[in-house]
Amino acid sequence: MDTPSLRRTASAAAIIGGGLLWLAAILFMAQTAQHSAQFSRLHPWILMINVAGLVVLVGLLATKLAQLVRDWRGHVIGSRLKARMVWTFGVLATLPILLVYFFAVQFLNKGIDSWFNVEMRQSLDDALVLSRSALETRMREHLAATELIADELAAVGGEPSGLLETLRREAGALEITVATDSGRIIVVSKGLSSEVVPDEVPGEVLLQVRQGRPFVSLEPQAAGGYLVRTAVPLGSAGDPRGRLVVQALYPVAERIAALADTLQATYQQFGEKDYLRRPLKASFILTLTVVLLLSLLAAWYGAIFTAQRLVQPIQDLVKGTRAVAKGDLDTRLPLTSHDEMGFLVHSFNDMTKRLRLAREDQQRAQQAAETERANLAIILARLSTGVVSLEPDLRVRTANRAAITILGDELDGCVGRDLGAVGVEDGLLGQFAEACRARIAAGDLEWREQFTFQAGTARRILMCACTPLPGEGEGEAPGGFVLVFDDITVMLQAQREAAWGEVARRLAHEIKNPLTPIRLSAERMRHKLLPSMNEKDALLLDRGTETIVQQVEAMKEMVNAFSEYARAPRFEMADVDLNLLVTEVTDLYRAQVAGRGVTLEVQLEPALRTLVADRGRLRQLLHNLLTNAVEALEGQPGGAITVATRLGYRNGEEVAQIAVEDNGPGFQRELIGQVFDPYVTTKPRGTGLGLAIVRKIVEEHRGHVEAENRTEGGARVSIELPLNEMTGAQAARREPRRPEPRRERA
Amino acid sequence: MPAVADTRLAVSRADVDPDDGVYELNVALDLELPEDGVRAIEAGLTLRLAYETEIARVRRYLPDEGVATLVQSYELSYHALSQRYLLRNVNTGEQADYGTLQAALDRLAEVRGLPLLDASLLEPGSDYEFRVRAVLTLRTASDTLNWLLFWTDDWSATSEWYAWTHRR
Repeated sequence: MDTPSLRRTASAAAIIGGGLLWLAAILFMAQTAQHSAQFSRLHPWILMINVAGLVVLVGLLATKLAQLVRDWRGHVIGSRLKARMVWTFGVLATLPILLVYFFAVQFLNKGIDSWFNVEMRQSLDDALVLSRSALETRMREHLAATELIADELAAVGGEPSGLLETLRREAGALEITVATDSGRIIVVSKGLSSEVVPDEVPGEVLLQVRQGRPFVSLEPQAAGGYLVRTAVPLGSAGDPRGRLVVQALYPVAERIAALADTLQATYQQFGEKDYLRRPLKASFILTLTVVLLLSLLAAWYGAIFTAQRLVQPIQDLVKGTRAVAKGDLDTRLPLTSHDEMGFLVHSFNDMTKRLRLAREDQQRAQQAAETERANLAIILARLSTGVVSLEPDLRVRTANRAAITILGDELDGCVGRDLGAVGVEDGLLGQFAEACRARIAAGDLEWREQFTFQAGTARRILMCACTPLPGEGEGEAPGGFVLVFDDITVMLQAQREAAWGEVARRLAHEIKNPLTPIRLSAERMRHKLLPSMNEKDALLLDRGTETIVQQVEAMKEMVNAFSEYARAPRFEMADVDLNLLVTEVTDLYRAQVAGRGVTLEVQLEPALRTLVADRGRLRQLLHNLLTNAVEALEGQPGGAITVATRLGYRNGEEVAQIAVEDNGPGFQRELIGQVFDPYVTTKPRGTGLGLAIVRKIVEEHRGHVEAENRTEGGARVSIELPLNEMTGAQAARREPRRPEPRRERA
Repeated sequence: MPAVADTRLAVSRADVDPDDGVYELNVALDLELPEDGVRAIEAGLTLRLAYETEIARVRRYLPDEGVATLVQSYELSYHALSQRYLLRNVNTGEQADYGTLQAALDRLAEVRGLPLLDASLLEPGSDYEFRVRAVLTLRTASDTLNWLLFWTDDWSATSEWYAWTHRR
């Protein structure tokens, strides 16, 4: 058995035991108020037990009431209901008890008084007088008989013993004594039933007889019954024996004696009770008060106990409900009864069990959803494709890392904002958002399109697809949209470069081979025919063959350029002092540019450390840039070229910056964005491969290149090369980084 | 209410007489009942008078040694039918009746020749303290109503001890 069960059993046993003891005490007390000598002796103890019970009950009640008041003030759950129930039960119990008490006291007072009313007393007194009269008649007869005996004895004289016996029998006396007036017995006549020792003549009898008066009295006997004692004087004053006394004792008939005893007992009891009327009433009222007070207190205690029993399940339910509200679904209420309250408790337990099971199911489902969500988040984070989800009202719901990488960091702070309000108008994000919003707003919910945006100096090509998310119900509005896009700028560029590379390779292969025979043929023809021709024809031939040779050389240069562009790089990585390399290359051009009236300024960063690169490729890069600059300034007075190196950072990585500027006409606006494409040139003799090769070399070194027009006029090409120590092989093996688009500004 | 507490109750004289090897007690009591007591007796209540006698051997350095205790009780009641006052010796059951209350009280207030103890129980040459007192209580004729007297104030009276020393 567990501890609460033991406690409940002990409490129940204590209550039942105490109740029985209290009931027994009350019954004993009631018995003492009746006619039981045994209980009368125990009366003080029984009263003490009842008073002790009263004190215990008062103590218990006070404790319970104090607890109730504390609970009330402390706003304990169920205390108000309990207090109302206690008050109701208590009042319901008190009113009838008080009424009973009031009427019982009235009945007691009036009832006890009615026992001793005047009529009763008078009746008893009359009965007593009547009995006395009846007995006195008999007593007078006995006295007369005694006087006759005395006369007979006086007449006979001498020793009257024989006559005395005869007279005793005739008179029916038990005993006749002749004694002197001092009490000395002279002669006695006794019946067989009387005692052997003669009854002495009492003093009061002698006194009265000496006064010459006869004596008669009714005497109760200790052994029961009555005797009539009579005494008269015998003889005259001249008697030599002195004055004698004749005493005769007569029996009273048993029937009369019994009636007399009954009357005497009744009269005595009545007299006692009449005399003790006040304490009798007080004791009855006290007994009644104690019993009713015990009943009243027990009723109040029972009210508290019952209220507690009734309220306890409600308190448990409220506590359980609060616990459930706080999320504790393991709450189990004790089932204390099998009534409606027990059914309610059972239903509550069943409800919490179902809720717990439902929550566990929900937690499992939520955990699965969270797992799926985490997996999806990981997948989305790892995706190189940008994914942006939108709310039905086109507010940005989520954006994955790739989307932020493609559209810019500002997308990170746009979650929750309307798609039409994100990004700046000419920024990539703004243009992308506006393009998507326009498509969706036009009612086109599912589409796929390639967008080309000009964001600053960069041209970006994004392949974007939009898919509506399912709504809550069939046929309802979509629950949002998902934009999936990828930056295909680099891919298209790579495709284009690959195509151009193939073209260059074919050109180099198909055109370079016939150029040598053509040149040789032209030179042979000139060598063979020129001496034999006249001056005019010789001049024509000379010019013709010269033109062929020149064009062949030009084509050869062009084919070599193509070959160079298409050729797979072979890196010879080494530490390169960029400042030294720039100095070397620019020195080669100083004389050339000076002859054309162009100034060449070199600004070097002393703190720039060496970088790991292919010196030859970088030298070619600088040559191409300087050649472009020189050619751009051709025929322009006051031309100036500036080559500068700086130390910078890009994406947290230390980079070496090279900038080549000129103050020429700059790039044509319509070619901005394509200046690094092969065969894009404005020069009449250009191959259009110079900047394409520059971009290729930069990308081979994982660098970054921008081309823009300077605000003060002229063009600027800026290059950033990482300053890490990566070798060529490592660079070749390196996982291709998402290529950054070239930035070209007009 | 019964007021025997106001009874004039005192042992005025007491002594013992060795008579034929037996010590006999003689006590004279100064007894006068108040009106309430008289009325209570006439109403039917019983007056019980108990003579409590104690005998102890006097020792010099030690507490006195109890030798004997005797309680002699009498009950005085009024018999309304015969208009006689009955005096009953509770110890012996003997009963006497008197025509007046005073005659009964006079008899009650005097004890003569009450056998107390055998003289052989007392050591020769030793001092013995005798002491006697009277305890007066009101009782109902039947025990059933005695408990009511619990609720009254003056239903008993006790005299002071009357003590004297006797050398054996």
